[in-house]
Amino acid sequence: MNRARRDALVGYAFVGPFLLVYAAVLVVPLLMGIVISFNNADLFGRREWIGLANYAQALSDPVLRQAFFNTLTLTLLIVPPLTVIALLLALALNRNTRLAAVLRGVFFSSLVLSVTIVTLIWRFILTPDAGLVAVGLQAVGQPPIPFLSDPAYVIPALAVTTLWWSLGFPIMLFLAGLQQVPGDIYEAAALDGAGRWTVFRRITLPSIRRTLLLVVMLQTAAQLQIFGQAQLLTGGGPGGASRTIVLYIFEVSFGRWELGYATAIAELLFGMILLVTLLQYWFVTRQEGDRA
Amino acid sequence: MRRVFALGLAALLAGCAPADDRPEIVVQRFFGECGAVYGASTDVANADTECGILTTLINRFEAENPDIRVKVNVVAWPGYPQLAAQMAAGDPPDLVTMHQSVISDYSSRGLIEPVEGLLAQAKIDPAGFTPAARAGVEKQGKLYGMPWDTIGRLFHINTELMAEAGLMRGGKPVLPNSPEELLAQARQFKAKTGKPYLIQAQVSAPDFMVAFLYTYLLAQGSPIYPDDRHIKLDTPEARAIVTLMRQLNTEGLTTRDQDFPAATAAFTQGKGGIFPVGTWMLGPYDAEAAREGSPIKGHYAVAPFPRLWGTAAPFVDGHAWVVPAATRSPQERAAMARFLAFLSRYNYDWSRTGQLPAFAAVLDRSEFKALPHREDIAALSRTGKQLPGYVERQSAVQGLIGEELEAAITGTKPVETALKDAERRVNRLYAQMM
Repeated sequence: MNRARRDALVGYAFVGPFLLVYAAVLVVPLLMGIVISFNNADLFGRREWIGLANYAQALSDPVLRQAFFNTLTLTLLIVPPLTVIALLLALALNRNTRLAAVLRGVFFSSLVLSVTIVTLIWRFILTPDAGLVAVGLQAVGQPPIPFLSDPAYVIPALAVTTLWWSLGFPIMLFLAGLQQVPGDIYEAAALDGAGRWTVFRRITLPSIRRTLLLVVMLQTAAQLQIFGQAQLLTGGGPGGASRTIVLYIFEVSFGRWELGYATAIAELLFGMILLVTLLQYWFVTRQEGDRA
Repeated sequence: MRRVFALGLAALLAGCAPADDRPEIVVQRFFGECGAVYGASTDVANADTECGILTTLINRFEAENPDIRVKVNVVAWPGYPQLAAQMAAGDPPDLVTMHQSVISDYSSRGLIEPVEGLLAQAKIDPAGFTPAARAGVEKQGKLYGMPWDTIGRLFHINTELMAEAGLMRGGKPVLPNSPEELLAQARQFKAKTGKPYLIQAQVSAPDFMVAFLYTYLLAQGSPIYPDDRHIKLDTPEARAIVTLMRQLNTEGLTTRDQDFPAATAAFTQGKGGIFPVGTWMLGPYDAEAAREGSPIKGHYAVAPFPRLWGTAAPFVDGHAWVVPAATRSPQERAAMARFLAFLSRYNYDWSRTGQLPAFAAVLDRSEFKALPHREDIAALSRTGKQLPGYVERQSAVQGLIGEELEAAITGTKPVETALKDAERRVNRLYAQMM
């Protein structure tokens, strides 16, 4: 056995056990889910083959359509501002001072809270009876805003809650990306008399392009699966105005026991996330290819 | 080497506990976790709240029955997703708390067992159940659980504000006898007190609206479920009920935009007249009404939902102890029977929570009658009505109807459209059911 072949076998030996476990707990259920989605199935193992009927039903289900638009709106309200705010904060905190170190910790701290705590905190802020915002508004003679029960406010309320909760991780990713940019490029730019905006646009942004892509992809995938905040803060209400796709999957599978239909929606969501993520990746890498 | 091996073997053997051959029963319940306060309590008479009383009861059973091993799973309310997963995995618990309205979901699939044999073994006579409790556990002529209580919605009333509104007579609140009277009294209340007549939890809590609708449909004898696969909601009776609820909302005769904690706070702070919520809040509100400095101190009363249409027929539910289908040894079944017999002896203590007892004899006990407000609501055990035993997926259906009612009441949808949509969504759910 030559050295290259031996090295290859050693490599497979390292990744093999993980691959087996990965396939067992992820790929196999995924394939089983696809099979179940072609059945009228309940939670207790009863199956009846119905072909594509669950998918046809999903495409004409007004509740799923509403959940889809809610989820899409939430994703659009969360991902772009989250990316921009996290990038700005990372730029501000990318320095070796004690204050910056403390603030990095502060911004990261919300991320370690569970969704239960986060929603509890935001309920105290948003509730129209004695919430922080309501108290502030009443102090200036304004009526409280029913953030959690008015269809017009409930999605923005969930978006703000999620923004506050999710800020820490993208900041850390951007900080890691910023610290990879060689200092001598900035020194050269300074010698050339480049302004701060030019430095940001011509040096910083292109240098952290990959991190930016990672943040957008991760956040898009995460927000398309948003669940806990909607379930705990609003229960999907009022009238389904804040029901997200994953919350609907939960209701259909565990509340109504329609496992076949729930898995069909889950497969559609999986396809949607995959498509959006690949599109983002293709868009960024295509631009890199054009530049090369 | 041999010495090391011997030492290792000795250490292993020392770590082995003697085999526990006591029969084990796994009890799965909701009602919350309160081990920090009641973890070691066995004094049932001094325990309070649903969680405290049940935790103490189980502790006491263990103390009195050392020959039985009791394993307790406390699940987050209502715990049915976990139970379904346990059943799907073939590893269900032995005794489970279950809402009576949910029993048919499991009994129709053979997932829970009839319990006549177990009740006989425990020397519990089903003839002793109250009519409402028996109706809750009897499905297709068989008993699928030991009823534990009857729960219903009540009018929790701030009598001070009612007096200010001129709605007290002979020390009792004056309640309406028709929808027109309800609106008139609500308007009078608001005009005199400046506060809403009703306090309602409308955010993330659709169950009250559904209970209100069911109560007055049952009162009018309107068949809600003509058969086990259809609901009928697009009716003149339902439209009249929902229109009344919408009118209360439109005129600001009820609080809006409150979830349950906010609505409870509003009631205990005296910000409205009547909070229609469950029997389970009787105990906490009565305690609040006895507390010095409370805005409702000495000004609290309760009553069943008033008769607005037809006859008095409040929609009720209840809790029961059910037995998931599984193979069990005679010793385990005997242990389960002893547990049920023990619980049945303490049904009075459970009724201190505010729920109505499942055993008729408790209703006649002087201690029960001496509990605050119980005489006002005991009629629920007799008049309370459940949906027909063949109705499945009540929990999911309530969610669907509640969502449409919310849209109708807040004005997002016309009443007729919301009821049509609710009917369509529920019937689609039944059409999908296997």
